[in-house]
Amino acid sequence: MDGLLKSGEFLKSESGNDYLVMDFLGAGGQGEVYSVTKGTSKYALKWYFKHMATKEQKEIIENLVKEGAPDDTFLWPQDMIVQSSDSFGYIMPLRPSEYKSIVDIMKRRAEPTFDALSKAAYNLTLGYRKLHVMGYSYRDISFGNLFINPKTGDVLICDNDNVAANLSPTTVYGTPRFMAPEIVVGKDKPSRNTDLFSLAVLLFYMFMLNHPLEGALEAKIKCMDIPAMSQLYGTKPLFIFDENDKSNFPLKGYQDNALTYWELYPQKLKDLFKRSFTIGLREPARRVTENEWLDAFANLMTGIVKCGSCGVEVFFDEDKASAGEAHTCWHCKKVVSIPLILHIGKNNVLLNAGARLFSHDLNKDYDMETVVGSLIQNPNNPNLWGIRNESNENWTYIKADGTQIPVSPGRSATIAKDSKINFGQLVGTFEKLG
Amino acid sequence: MKKILVRPGGALASRPLHFFWIVDCSGSMFGEKIGAVNHAIQSVIPEMVSAAENNPNAQLLVQTLKFSTGASWITTAPVAVEDFAWEDLIAGGVTDLGKAFELLTAQLTIPPMTDRALPPVLVLLSDGQPTDNYKKSLDALKNLPWGKKAVKIAISIGQDADDTVLKEFTDNSELVLQANNPEALIRMIKWASTAASAVSAPASRPAEIDAPKGATFAPDGVSSGGGGGAPLVIDIDNIPSGDDISGGDVW
Repeated sequence: MDGLLKSGEFLKSESGNDYLVMDFLGAGGQGEVYSVTKGTSKYALKWYFKHMATKEQKEIIENLVKEGAPDDTFLWPQDMIVQSSDSFGYIMPLRPSEYKSIVDIMKRRAEPTFDALSKAAYNLTLGYRKLHVMGYSYRDISFGNLFINPKTGDVLICDNDNVAANLSPTTVYGTPRFMAPEIVVGKDKPSRNTDLFSLAVLLFYMFMLNHPLEGALEAKIKCMDIPAMSQLYGTKPLFIFDENDKSNFPLKGYQDNALTYWELYPQKLKDLFKRSFTIGLREPARRVTENEWLDAFANLMTGIVKCGSCGVEVFFDEDKASAGEAHTCWHCKKVVSIPLILHIGKNNVLLNAGARLFSHDLNKDYDMETVVGSLIQNPNNPNLWGIRNESNENWTYIKADGTQIPVSPGRSATIAKDSKINFGQLVGTFEKLG
Repeated sequence: MKKILVRPGGALASRPLHFFWIVDCSGSMFGEKIGAVNHAIQSVIPEMVSAAENNPNAQLLVQTLKFSTGASWITTAPVAVEDFAWEDLIAGGVTDLGKAFELLTAQLTIPPMTDRALPPVLVLLSDGQPTDNYKKSLDALKNLPWGKKAVKIAISIGQDADDTVLKEFTDNSELVLQANNPEALIRMIKWASTAASAVSAPASRPAEIDAPKGATFAPDGVSSGGGGGAPLVIDIDNIPSGDDISGGDVW
């Protein structure tokens, strides 16, 4: 099939680089994507359909190239090729093949662990947060615009060519099923707040494999056409787990994933979803913020325990433990014993073998990459365990009797009953729950 | 090594999407016309498979109906697009379009149609001029619930085609696509096939809704230059589902 560009064609960019067109990679709503080379380096080139190659679009990309990528999570426009006013495209990094689309996860062709899924949720939320911090809105968060490494939870955000200053004129309204209700009914245009709605939908899909508004009311609809979609996602949206109106509760046989997964997650995560799709449906300014999601995902990442009987991952639920309820395995149904917990501020770090503390756990800086502490066995006494200081800061170990001992980098603090660690900003306590 | 269960549950639930190729095999289609149709549809199938692979909301099912003297199903049951192989059709005989509408009507009745689905897509390829009395069976088709909801597209084959009946079928002259030459035919067929993904997993909705309809909807708008890249943008608001469907018509 003929495309917009020919393989073997040379194109000169605005910055003076020569790119050689290699293969057609795919087409979307706005244009086609090709692989290209510059010397020995490979890149991706998005080329717009003529009717999408508008002056506004060109200006947006020029600005994005000028501003540069927020970080390497983004497959960001880095160079521009302009043949005429309605014939142009941009160069971006090529997506490595180990990154899979959300569609692969929805169709179970890619199967991340709960740990990797939690990391992916964290990383993509962090990515969108960066855009919002810089004053941008993304405008089209949906299945096709990001990729996940199912083994590591690393993410790549692509299709950044709609990114522009929040509330500036838009080139896109979003993707059906992801658009905020106020856009579906035509009352509003994409903004940071509608991004927050789309993000909540995406996260719900990832964790639940079900749309948050597709329950009994969806099952009742025979023909899922435009009027039906306008009603479900626009004029009469109702969360499937809305406690005040259960008419859209998931229906067994139709929305089994929703019923299965809802039981698996900690109450605090479920509460964020509830707010997103009850208050958040009606009040854009009161949607769950990125920081709230990040705190929840950080807790998920350090709150997974493997079932002692069958080995599957089970999420620790603080609310359940506080109420004295046992954790049962979703797979083998046996009671799961919860290891000792290091409680730091709002975070719970389960002290599984190999447990690590991340910078965010101690400093609330949203850095879940930098390891600042680890669970370690005392080499002289295997019955004793400690938290080793992997950071560059001094900690203070507070014994049960109040004695304070400095824990310099590289040293470890013994885990003992009623002992505490002062990490600087926050104090960690050890708790046995559940 | 035994595969360890990672997470419970199944794939995202999806709905069937019935896609129908309805092909005129009358004598006037004999020779190059039917040859070009056979080639064009066969060559678009891999793209439909690939679109279906990337569509989490639909199970794309394909059926082929031919009509000439009488009408008959080539596929006896809906075939998943990944298992679908195009069977070359041969032209000869009269144009019993009414018979084709009767078979379609039977197929779009519940059952055999399921009561939960995405809007069916009906693609009629013809040079027009039916020889039987098709009006009654077309009315019956359009009065069916699924007939009303179906996205109806016609591809007019050849420069001498008579579009009268094709317009009656689609209720919208913009959905009668002109295929005056084999290249145009490939483009139109490719475009019609993308209607399947547009009704189920619509792509990003561009904001250029004020642009002339021809630019965002009809394939001709972007076929100039660039070697005929078919427009994959279907403005979701513009997919007609019949004048009698209102915003509150959800069933």
